[in-house]
Amino acid sequence: MTSTSVIALSGVAKRFAGHVAVADLSLSVPRGAVYGLLGPNGAGKTTTIRMIMNITMPDEGTIELFGDRRGGRHHSARIGYLPEERGLYRKMRVRDMLVFLAEAKGVGRARGAAKADEWLRRLDLADWGLRKVEELSKGMQQKVQFIGTMLHEPELVILDEPFAGLDPINQQVLKDIVVHLARGGTTIVFSTHQMDVAEKICDHVCIIARGRKVLDGGLAEVKQVHGGTHVAVAFEDGAAGAQAMTAVTDLVAAADDSGVYAELRLKDGVDPQLVLERLMGTGARIRRFERIEPSLNRIFLDKAGPDGAAAAEVAHA
Amino acid sequence: MRKVWAVIRREFVERVRSKWFLVSTILGPLFMIGVTVLPGLLMTRAGGVNDIALVDQGSGPFAARLQSQLEGSGRFRVTVIPASTGRLAALKDSLTRAVRLETLDGFLTISAATVDSGLAEYEGRNVSSLRDMAVLENLLRQTIVTERLTRLGVDPALVQGAQRGISLETVRITKHGATGQSGTVTFFLGYGVGIVLYMIILIYGINVMRSVLEEKQTRIIEVLVSSLRPFQLMLGKVVGVGGVGLFQFVIWGLTGWLVVHFRVQVLGAFHVPAAQVSAITMPAISASLLVVVAAYFLLGYLLYSAMFAVVGASVTADSEAQQAQQPVMMLLVFSLIVSFAALNDPGGRMAVVTSLIPFSSPIIMPVRVATSDVPAAQLALSLAISAATSLLVVWLSARVYRVGILMYGKRPSLKELWRWTRQS
Repeated sequence: MTSTSVIALSGVAKRFAGHVAVADLSLSVPRGAVYGLLGPNGAGKTTTIRMIMNITMPDEGTIELFGDRRGGRHHSARIGYLPEERGLYRKMRVRDMLVFLAEAKGVGRARGAAKADEWLRRLDLADWGLRKVEELSKGMQQKVQFIGTMLHEPELVILDEPFAGLDPINQQVLKDIVVHLARGGTTIVFSTHQMDVAEKICDHVCIIARGRKVLDGGLAEVKQVHGGTHVAVAFEDGAAGAQAMTAVTDLVAAADDSGVYAELRLKDGVDPQLVLERLMGTGARIRRFERIEPSLNRIFLDKAGPDGAAAAEVAHA
Repeated sequence: MRKVWAVIRREFVERVRSKWFLVSTILGPLFMIGVTVLPGLLMTRAGGVNDIALVDQGSGPFAARLQSQLEGSGRFRVTVIPASTGRLAALKDSLTRAVRLETLDGFLTISAATVDSGLAEYEGRNVSSLRDMAVLENLLRQTIVTERLTRLGVDPALVQGAQRGISLETVRITKHGATGQSGTVTFFLGYGVGIVLYMIILIYGINVMRSVLEEKQTRIIEVLVSSLRPFQLMLGKVVGVGGVGLFQFVIWGLTGWLVVHFRVQVLGAFHVPAAQVSAITMPAISASLLVVVAAYFLLGYLLYSAMFAVVGASVTADSEAQQAQQPVMMLLVFSLIVSFAALNDPGGRMAVVTSLIPFSSPIIMPVRVATSDVPAAQLALSLAISAATSLLVVWLSARVYRVGILMYGKRPSLKELWRWTRQS
């Protein structure tokens, strides 16, 4: 696993005066993954990212990047980083600033300038290269900042809350960029608390709450392992359906029953096949019976919500 | 190293490109030209003949003599108005009105007792003109003294002769003998060296502080710190900003040299006759003085910009910076104030001690070198102490900077700052 993982954290902990920001965090980001670091506000996402970026040092544990422990700054040329708090040199010209950011990553001036022009064209900002940053609208500044993150063609892009504060158009622009980069083989790590976005573009997730990892893994695997078994049932006749449902109550943990249509979360270890047999046994006519995946949002709420977080803490105690 | 170079270039280019740099660079030489030209202009000011009335309450021939003395100076046109005691008040009223209407510049009131008591009164619009008043008082004194002596039977011609101008010429003597340079010129050279060093260290030190604070406030610091080591960033910043200072210094120095070298032509443009220009003595600026000034500029700038960088890194808002920079500013202001004392007594104990203390030496030592002969041992010791302190302060500052740039919120106490220096 380590050989193919771009980032590997093991037993990482970070404490700030009196409170634990991150505790015993281990995770591994496979090469080429689009990795979502998910969690409620204050869960420790930004602290984790800052430790990966070598901005702060972990109190315990080790962080490996590209299989070595010399820290993010040593590999800075291979990493693009978008911090949670956005900011640019307001008085600088857009193009000059991008070239400077590229230089800070060790890219030569000429190459940095060429790349800056290419990206500015790509994001419809070509006419703004010679303007000062402060003359740009907020949305344009966001785009410029993304360019600054990707300019040096990093193998690994780390984005802290990239979708926060973006209008739908720029969200789409950024999503397109992320997908484009991922197709090109770039590993992408981003933190967010917007589950719908994460569900669409991530293939790996890690949910953390109160500084501790709740679960991680490939998206499909997570849904399978942590989502429980969900089925959707539709009947031709509502009355017969209601009748039929009474035959399976001992197998169902939770039901969202809308008459002719119901979504059921089955109790642990219950085979959906058994549910289907029982329902058919009642003679009700079934129009649809399907195993469905729980949404990431559902899992997130179950695991990182007030109850889930408490459970996670008990499990770690 | 290439990254440090990128930071240096950014700091340098962005500053040199700014309006601020253009304005301060142009105003600098204008200021210098002003300093060179103004005295000449003031001396040759052709206008400024004052119309005054001489209100005479029975002083007899003294009034006429005073009138001719005043008019002889070329600065006053005098109308004598005899006044009896009874209508003096009314006369003064109407003269005051004339002064207010600007048909008259002022009036001098004398009486029969003036010669004995030496008391006279001048009322006018131009009382704040020190030069006019000095001339007026001087002429009045001469005329009264002549009058007194004449009354005692001394030959007026003899009195005139005795009052010929007296002036003390001062010439600076160094170990190498008399320099031919006057005391006044030496004073102004030392004064100029002190002020320029103070200004340039202060201005560029504060520039470093603002630059650090800007990166912190815009949060771009996170991106930078994930790419460069904080020390590289601070180094690039200090060198880049210092380069701008040096660049401006060179522009000014060159302009100054050109103005001095072509002063006949420059002042000619202001209609100052060439003969008068060549009479102006220019301070001799030796190469060794320039070297000393440059060395202390570098050491002083390094020391103070490192401290200003700490100020910038330890605060979050501009208003906090205003407060937090006070202690550092005080050190500089203190040095400037002491430099005035050092000007008067460049070899005194105060000057010697403060030219060894690293926080004041960058200003005091060059002032001493400009105005006196400083023993080589003292100069070497001062340079060594200053260099060692600068390096130590830069090292400590870099350690505080490294922690401070990522800290937001409450301003740290001195104790916390000290803890930061020891954090790994």
